[in-house]
Amino acid sequence: MDSEDDMHDAHDVESLDDDFYSGDTPMGSEDGDAEYDFVDNESEDSEDVTSHRQQQSYTILSVSDIRQRQEEDIHRVSTVLSISRVAACVLLRHYKWSVSRVHDEWFADEENVRKVVGLLEKPVEMPNARELPCGICFESYSSNEMTAAACGHPFCSACWRGYVGTAISDGPGCLMLRCPDPSCGVAVGEDMIRMLASDEDKQKYSRYLLRSYIEDNRKTKWCPAPGCEFAVEFVMGSSSYDVTCNCSYSFCWNCTEEAHRPVDCATVAKWILKNCAESENMNWILANSKPCPKCKRPIEKNQGCMHITCTPPCKFEFCWLCLGAWSEHGERTGGFYACNRYEAAKQEGAYDESERRREMAKNSLERYTHYYERWATNQSSRQKALADLHSMQNEKLEKLSDRQSQPESQLKFIIEAWLQIVECRRVLKWTYAYGYYLLENEYAKRQFFEYLQGEAEAGLERLHQCAEKELQVYLEAEAPTKDFNYFRTKLAGLTSVTRNYFENLVRALETGLRDVGPSGNQANANKNTSPKSLLGGKGGKSGKAKVIGTSSRSGDEAWTMATIGLASTAPTRTRGRQTCARCANSTGRFGLCCLLLCD
Amino acid sequence: MLDTSRVQKELAEGNRDTETSGVSIALHDGADLTHLSGTITGPVGTPYEGGVFVIDIRLPSGYPFEPPKMQFVTRVWHPNISSQNGAICLDILKDQWSPALTLKTALLSLQALLSAPAPDDPQDAVVAQQYLRDYQKFVGTARHWTETFAKSASVGMDEKVKKLVEMGFPEDAVRAVLEATKGDENMALEKLCSG
Repeated sequence: MDSEDDMHDAHDVESLDDDFYSGDTPMGSEDGDAEYDFVDNESEDSEDVTSHRQQQSYTILSVSDIRQRQEEDIHRVSTVLSISRVAACVLLRHYKWSVSRVHDEWFADEENVRKVVGLLEKPVEMPNARELPCGICFESYSSNEMTAAACGHPFCSACWRGYVGTAISDGPGCLMLRCPDPSCGVAVGEDMIRMLASDEDKQKYSRYLLRSYIEDNRKTKWCPAPGCEFAVEFVMGSSSYDVTCNCSYSFCWNCTEEAHRPVDCATVAKWILKNCAESENMNWILANSKPCPKCKRPIEKNQGCMHITCTPPCKFEFCWLCLGAWSEHGERTGGFYACNRYEAAKQEGAYDESERRREMAKNSLERYTHYYERWATNQSSRQKALADLHSMQNEKLEKLSDRQSQPESQLKFIIEAWLQIVECRRVLKWTYAYGYYLLENEYAKRQFFEYLQGEAEAGLERLHQCAEKELQVYLEAEAPTKDFNYFRTKLAGLTSVTRNYFENLVRALETGLRDVGPSGNQANANKNTSPKSLLGGKGGKSGKAKVIGTSSRSGDEAWTMATIGLASTAPTRTRGRQTCARCANSTGRFGLCCLLLCD
Repeated sequence: MLDTSRVQKELAEGNRDTETSGVSIALHDGADLTHLSGTITGPVGTPYEGGVFVIDIRLPSGYPFEPPKMQFVTRVWHPNISSQNGAICLDILKDQWSPALTLKTALLSLQALLSAPAPDDPQDAVVAQQYLRDYQKFVGTARHWTETFAKSASVGMDEKVKKLVEMGFPEDAVRAVLEATKGDENMALEKLCSG
């Protein structure tokens, strides 16, 4: 059911991108269907942590899938253009594996394409002589010891082997190998490689060919997880960039960082950069330094007296103890080396002013630390949850089924809960990066955001607690427990409530928190200065679409299309799902109402 | 491994028409086939006219499938050649190299590069900027450098003279012969031995 809906969407979007899909559509849909079932089955097996609410807009490809597709493309071009398989491969490689592009270019100007790519219409025979000089080693050989590409420029086998071997060890450039004669551009294709290269080099070549099919193609990317051999084909214009590979790693197709929906790629990039630069140093800085009262740079006092002079260009001279200007120090303060202003002021409680100054200086660091700590904690909490999920799947479920005399099929709600926890930890983690970049002066937005985040977080904590601690009782029980059914209802309920909280949070962030503000959507859209909207969208859309369109750097069109799609094809998209009567939000597989948040 | 028979053929072929091509190749120190020394004459009608430019050539073990490493020993003022260390920016010495090219064709390409600088793809930004902004001044500097470094009293020449003098030939004769052979040590040696 779901998958059928997805295919509708995929085609809607595809047709918008003519350049890219025009040639592929008939074939693409066939592939799509087949792949779809495959992926869907996989997610039934529960690896796919995002399957709950995500429309799948991508296909995971294994190495054999890739080879098969590549072979099909080559075959198609070779059939349509009536050229050899090798020539078709050279052509596709040149035009970045776009079948439609090859067709377009070829039928527009075949002669020019042949020239550019180095394919001759008719092969040229080698010069007809008993002995021929090799153009590389300058020795003469009898003509049956010589080899030539389609151009007929003869070189001896040893030199060919050297030429091909050097090219292959130089890297993927060997896929575009030409005849060694500098005046000749004729392509040296896979047939020559098979004939001339060593076995090891042949393997390298075919690996490059495979990689090229993924790396040169705009629609496909390798999964960035270390050691993972799967690739992902993405349907351009899909509503979400989040992709979950069969290796269970989730990543953003756009920036290939770990999945970070609902936060946009630019914010994530900024955040990651900031973390690299600061996280390790943060604790140390906080523990060992004070910020210069004037320029706010952190200063470490590693020796010497209390008279601190900040480094140029600041050069501010101050007292380490009270952080006041040194010029105010001297006899009056009990001598240069015993600043009793600090003590006295502290005793009087009249130290608020400079204490506050120090507070402010520390603030920016503290603010970052606040968000970073929560980001990192959710990160590790997610890792733990993922491990718990696996141990649940692999051992505990069986044990539980034993102890409580329940068939494993009846215990799926526990896996559902853990999947939800893993996914929510991920979302929550990224909302802290979002929060860090949400401007202080966006007061209403900040409040709304923090409210949603707080609700979601509280829900998640309840769910996590229930799945982690309360379950333990039933795992350890000697005999089936009566109130296990109560536990089932509770955990399943918490799962769906938490899901709804997070769906609301995600939706709010993806639309740039536009529900806030007394002046309505349109006016708010224009004033919208959240970090997301600063990244800008393409104008020329209606007010509503524009707000949504601003939510991601290069994904703006995707979001917009998703929303338009939602409005116009709502009946199709919500088929098989339940809709909450009050908020009109679709509520996922379980058809539960969105509960509190709609009130 | 280096294809020694090809290098030997190239040495013979490279010096066949030195008079007309203005290009010659010699072993740098007599035994090592991987370290050669090339010379080109400055093309007529350019600021390099009348100069003899020595180029250090090193052959990697993958030669001729990998390009030879060439570098000007004689200092030269040219947008595509470093005025500091003589490094050359020329496509056929990098990604456009083909094993069907030879040391001689590469040297001829360098000669052509002297005639037709490509300031948009510079090796030496200072020279390139001067070439584009004040062409007359560029020509003046290039000519001055040719006079100073690429005429017979050049550093490369002095080295050769010293080497031949060490072999026991009188310095006057060495200089005269080297002048006549346009700095080709091997030919000079032959002439000195036969004369």
